[in-house]
Amino acid sequence: MVRPMYRSRTFRRVFKKTSGRVSLHYIKRKPAKAKCAECGSVLQGVPRAFPYKIKLMSKTKKRPERMYGGYLCGKCTKKSIINKHIKE
Amino acid sequence: MIDVGRVCVKTAGRDAGRKCVVVEIVDKQYVVIDGETRRRKCNITHLLPLKDTVNISESANHEEVEKLLNELGIDTLKTNPKKKTERPRSKRKTPEQLKEQKEEKKKLRGILKSKKEDKSPKTTIEDKAIAEIKETDKGKDVNEDKNTPQKEKKKPAKSKESSAKRKKKE
Repeated sequence: MVRPMYRSRTFRRVFKKTSGRVSLHYIKRKPAKAKCAECGSVLQGVPRAFPYKIKLMSKTKKRPERMYGGYLCGKCTKKSIINKHIKE
Repeated sequence: MIDVGRVCVKTAGRDAGRKCVVVEIVDKQYVVIDGETRRRKCNITHLLPLKDTVNISESANHEEVEKLLNELGIDTLKTNPKKKTERPRSKRKTPEQLKEQKEEKKKLRGILKSKKEDKSPKTTIEDKAIAEIKETDKGKDVNEDKNTPQKEKKKPAKSKESSAKRKKKE
């Protein structure tokens, strides 16, 4: 019998060949991709990893080194800067 | 719109959101900018021109740009470049220095030899004493007991020599 906690699909199922037989492994799912706060597109240059691995990374590997880097996408930052200066 | 002396805002890249002045026109597509940003080549599509203009000659220095922008109330980038330091390099010793080295070594050798010579007569006296004891026909156990403490006495004498060497080197 399977453990009750593994009946739901919260865990990813992986078939692995080990010593002549196929066995089932249950693996934790990765966290979701980082998305732009305005348009919702996937952000580039932001790693998709568990927080304990992101902790080990350097600051420059976690987000693009730009204004609003890791929060807005490149197009949305451009829009926000233009809107700000046209009003002036 | 974009000419030499036009104040712009950069909208892309690391310097996004910072103000700058067009210093030089390279191409249809590219210009050289300076000011709050780093002095660098830049695509025109990454610039947003503003109302203000500055009287600047082509390919002006960073100091000239700094003066004019500060009048408009725009800060400029200030860098603190590292001063160049000389690399530590091992130099060859001059022949005079080599001679001094040799003389020092010779002195040390002389001290060591004299100490070794001093040792040898000491041992001979002790050996003679042991030989005399043997002649008196005392038990073997007594001789063995006397031999062992002699070896122990020699060891601290060596350590004193090494300490004397270190002091002279210093």
